[in-house]
Amino acid sequence: MKRMLCGKVGVNSLLASIVLLLLAGDALAHGERAQLASMRMRTVHWFDTQVTPLNVKVGDVVTVTGKFVTSVWWPKHMPSIEETVYLNIGVPGPTFLRLHSEVNGVPMMRSTAFPLGKVYEYTTVLRARIAGRYHVHPLLNVMDAGSLVAKGTWLEVADNESGEPFVNEVTTLPGDTIDLETYGLHGVGGVYFWHVLWIMMGVGYLVYWLATKKELFIPRFIRIREMGDDRANELLTKRDFIASSIFFTLTLALILGGYLWAENKYPITIPLQTGLVDVEPIEIPSGDLEVVVDHATYELAGRSLTMRVNMTNHGDSPIRIGEFLTANIRFVNAEVNEGEFYEGEEMVSMDGLTVSVDYISPGQSVDVELVASDALWEKFRMTGLIHDPDSRFAGLIFYYDDAGTRYYQEVGGSVLPEFF
Amino acid sequence: MSEVQAITEKEAKARALDIKSLDNPKAMKLYRRFDGILILVLFAFITLGIQIQFTLTAGDWDYWIDWRDRRWWPLVSPFTLLLFIGAFTYGIWTRLRLPIIATAVTTLLCLVSWLSRYLNFYEFTHFPMSFTFPSTYIGLGILLDCTLAMTRSLVVSAMIGGGLFGALVYPLNWSFMAPYKVPVEFNGTLMSVADLMGYEYIRTTTPEYLRIIEESTLRTFGGSVTPLTAVFAGLCGIVIYAIFLYVGSWINGLDKYAKRIV
Repeated sequence: MKRMLCGKVGVNSLLASIVLLLLAGDALAHGERAQLASMRMRTVHWFDTQVTPLNVKVGDVVTVTGKFVTSVWWPKHMPSIEETVYLNIGVPGPTFLRLHSEVNGVPMMRSTAFPLGKVYEYTTVLRARIAGRYHVHPLLNVMDAGSLVAKGTWLEVADNESGEPFVNEVTTLPGDTIDLETYGLHGVGGVYFWHVLWIMMGVGYLVYWLATKKELFIPRFIRIREMGDDRANELLTKRDFIASSIFFTLTLALILGGYLWAENKYPITIPLQTGLVDVEPIEIPSGDLEVVVDHATYELAGRSLTMRVNMTNHGDSPIRIGEFLTANIRFVNAEVNEGEFYEGEEMVSMDGLTVSVDYISPGQSVDVELVASDALWEKFRMTGLIHDPDSRFAGLIFYYDDAGTRYYQEVGGSVLPEFF
Repeated sequence: MSEVQAITEKEAKARALDIKSLDNPKAMKLYRRFDGILILVLFAFITLGIQIQFTLTAGDWDYWIDWRDRRWWPLVSPFTLLLFIGAFTYGIWTRLRLPIIATAVTTLLCLVSWLSRYLNFYEFTHFPMSFTFPSTYIGLGILLDCTLAMTRSLVVSAMIGGGLFGALVYPLNWSFMAPYKVPVEFNGTLMSVADLMGYEYIRTTTPEYLRIIEESTLRTFGGSVTPLTAVFAGLCGIVIYAIFLYVGSWINGLDKYAKRIV
């Protein structure tokens, strides 16, 4: 009976495990929904994110480009991007090699700082290393604040047909060309050599003490208890002293010999490098439109953000509002028909923005109501806005003049919830 | 009153029998089997303990080649090892006179680190082994244990062995770490091979600024960072080892509670 029960339980557990495995889907989000709504709205506004090409083979190059604006509404309770920040890329570990990255033309091997309210154009060049399907996110690691991710783009990496092992060659300043995938590991004097040697030394020492003694733990314990602490050292023999002396001398000789050998083989070495780099920011191209936010409300049931703003056009060309961007979600005014959309782009609401005024004529000052409305508010957990410790919003509005030139600027302010 | 005088008559008889059993081949055979089990249990405990402790205290310093700088890594690693070794060594030495703990800890840490790097870092997350191989501390463990075996004194071994353990971290590992400190020019910037690997092999949540590279006030003697750190690490090694030998003696004294329960 017991056996039958065990068998049944075992089979049921196995079936349950298989069902769970079959039901488990891919992890499709990588933190873009996890952070506080206000954190996503008021930190970094990512836009024009583009990953090309979207289908590559191992060894091919992928380029990620885009821009971001650092928000002047940065939450006071969060460490600022003005201190220390690192441009990174959200991929599953080293499935790609990072060949190059830059912000406003400055290489980004090191960390930097970004003043608020400015534009930064970034490029990251990757080389596919491991085959798979990846959701690629540009991201910024902000010291003490965590990662701020841009929207992701799916990228397919196929195996290389040649079947050759992946090679990552660089040339050092002394002139040697090395493959970083296996550099320093093999051969006499390599990592494997020294580790095997030291493990053999360690195991040899332990074998001496644990395998060559007739009396070990329990007998030694009994003898020491009988002899007392004063005479316990009598258990250590002359042979122990000689063996220890040999191990001691050999170890010191190996350390010294290894050190001198390495100094001789690699005479030119430098310490690890570090430091911050400076990036010259770009001013926001806000054109001649002045925007003053009067107030904003968030309607929970309708999943919409309504902004009432005053806009004054100081330029000589009429302006149309084409898009509102916040927390990586693009709410597009379908009537304007401007702006680029990229292959594989996610988080776009094609008719998510309604604007009460079609044109803002030159010299005109007008009150405008912008309504950003879409189920994406719910999907990307933006409804959590009302649970934030600092209920304010921020985002970018994009607008166009007669010639189709794009301008943008940040808007933000307090937001009041409308529950029902 | 000495311990021998304080024991009861019953316990004295038991001890006499224990001593007599050492001349009994059958008993000795049984002891050897128990010893085998004890070694397995002790080594399993040491392996798990040091792996968890080292991961929590020195983790990234040992994971990535671009974290092992001249100042912090040679200080952090021996400290975290010595506090574990010190606490264990006292009990094993006073009760068994076996100078093996430092070697056992460092060897087992090395073996389990290789297993972890291969399975977790190489197979599972695709980092090349050249970027994530562990450091070795086995030579330091042997020096510490041999000092104890030769001098038969915990105090002298703390002075000599503890000092060597702290001071020789960098020279011991330099034999295979030197190639990673060869200079490379990248985008007009001077980098070491290790820095370049840290840049190219992407770590999403380990940004460059998390590394602690040569941050401290030990800047005298014309920039001789490595020897200066070695001397400081040696001094700290003596102190840390001595403190945790004392902690070990305190832990060792807790057996009185076990005896009461028995």
